[in-house]
Amino acid sequence: MMQDAIHIDDLSFGHHGAEQRAIDQISLNIAAGDCVALLGPSGAGKTTLLTLLDGRLRDWQGRVSVLGTPFEPTRALPLAKRADTGFIFQEFALVERSTVMRNVLNGRLGRMPSWRALLGNVSKSDMDIARSTLSDCGIADLADRRVDSLSGGQRQRVAIARCLAQEPKLIFADEPVSNLDPSRAADILTLLTSAAQARGATTVFSSHQPELARRFADRIIGMRNGRIVFDVATRDLTDDATAALYDDTDPASGARLKVVS
Amino acid sequence: MRSRDLGGFWAGLLVAGVVLWSLITTDVELSRLLSAGPRIADFLGRMFPPDPTIMDEIWKGSAETLRIAILGTLGAVFFSVPLGILASETMVSAAVHRPVRTVLAFIRAIPLILVAMLMVGAVGLGPLPGIIAVAFHATGMLAKFYAEAIDGVSRAPIAALESAGAGPLLRLRYAIWPQMAPVVARDTIFRFELNLRESLILGIVGAGGIGFYIQTYVRSFQYDKAASVTIAVVIMVIAIEGINVALRRRFA
Repeated sequence: MMQDAIHIDDLSFGHHGAEQRAIDQISLNIAAGDCVALLGPSGAGKTTLLTLLDGRLRDWQGRVSVLGTPFEPTRALPLAKRADTGFIFQEFALVERSTVMRNVLNGRLGRMPSWRALLGNVSKSDMDIARSTLSDCGIADLADRRVDSLSGGQRQRVAIARCLAQEPKLIFADEPVSNLDPSRAADILTLLTSAAQARGATTVFSSHQPELARRFADRIIGMRNGRIVFDVATRDLTDDATAALYDDTDPASGARLKVVS
Repeated sequence: MRSRDLGGFWAGLLVAGVVLWSLITTDVELSRLLSAGPRIADFLGRMFPPDPTIMDEIWKGSAETLRIAILGTLGAVFFSVPLGILASETMVSAAVHRPVRTVLAFIRAIPLILVAMLMVGAVGLGPLPGIIAVAFHATGMLAKFYAEAIDGVSRAPIAALESAGAGPLLRLRYAIWPQMAPVVARDTIFRFELNLRESLILGIVGAGGIGFYIQTYVRSFQYDKAASVTIAVVIMVIAIEGINVALRRRFA
């Protein structure tokens, strides 16, 4: 049996007094090597869940373990554990005034000895990895350009290259294509999911576009108001379930629709 | 009457009260002001024409003032880098940055000329007390500027490096520094301009630079020479402001 990459049990996050928790009693497992989409409207808790699984949130309740490491609810994940999970940000999160190469090498920082990284001493193997991820992402010719001179699609390729250079076993992508036009969006998701597959990495990406989730994920988890509304294999996803996810006339549907399929 | 109008009324009364208090308690005699006219005309007359024979002194004094400003700024940068980091919300907890900021505010509150006088007493006459005083005084402002530059950068790339497993120093080096560098350059040049302006008068208290000649010539009633030094100072200030404006456009 394949080991679970992610194991979540009764996870909640958000202030007790608040009317709506960002994450409300979620339980799920994600198998290693899977490509999973988190689908849902904005405010569903997708970004919060991904950030938490990336080890950057504290003060949540429940049990979470990622790549076999149990998380501590009161502490952020130790730095040494972070390199194994890569994160692709909605707004790219690149250092605009640095070159493409420098940004991709930033993905290697968690893999280098700190003193060498501080001195800016890049080893040949780090350089080779950065170069090969750049060419995998189709932007080898942009290596010396400054990021602030690039288009949105190019920037997202740099962000993916940075994540891949990290050699993660698990890739989280938070709305990776919401800032791009539809044809670019499909290109970028093709790049991301095939690169992840080639490396045997588990992928979890969030999206608010059902057609992209259907096309690129093996499994789709519908979220609304911090809860899981459905969790199905992509072929089992019904149009009704998708419609219910975005039904604005019934804000409580997230609480009532338990599992559809 | 609405409360807002009432607020305006009280504010006006307060201003009037303050001005009246100053006028009444200060020894302002109009007659003295009127008799000053001829005397000022006399000074100006004696300042003209400026004495051009003291070019050597002017060069020497200007060069020393420039050196004080350069080394003083260097010292301020040296101390402001660590203090700026310790005063930033991004890099350290409130338990550290709050007290550091308070100390910096105190440093800013002490006038440069006072620090210079204390330093002259401590290390003797010459440019050294001037350099120390400028470095000390400028650190109060520059460290605050650096801290604000750190806190003003975009957070997302910092989170990205954190996610990749980079520690605080690596995040500072690769996510924060590239973003703050132009701000640091601009602020440092701005502080250098202020340092130069302020160090022009340091010579008056014996802390080196061209101020020494201004003081000497005015005290010895050589107004034509004082005029030459004043012209040199004005040219220097205008020149450095021009350079500063050009550099700032470059960094914009």
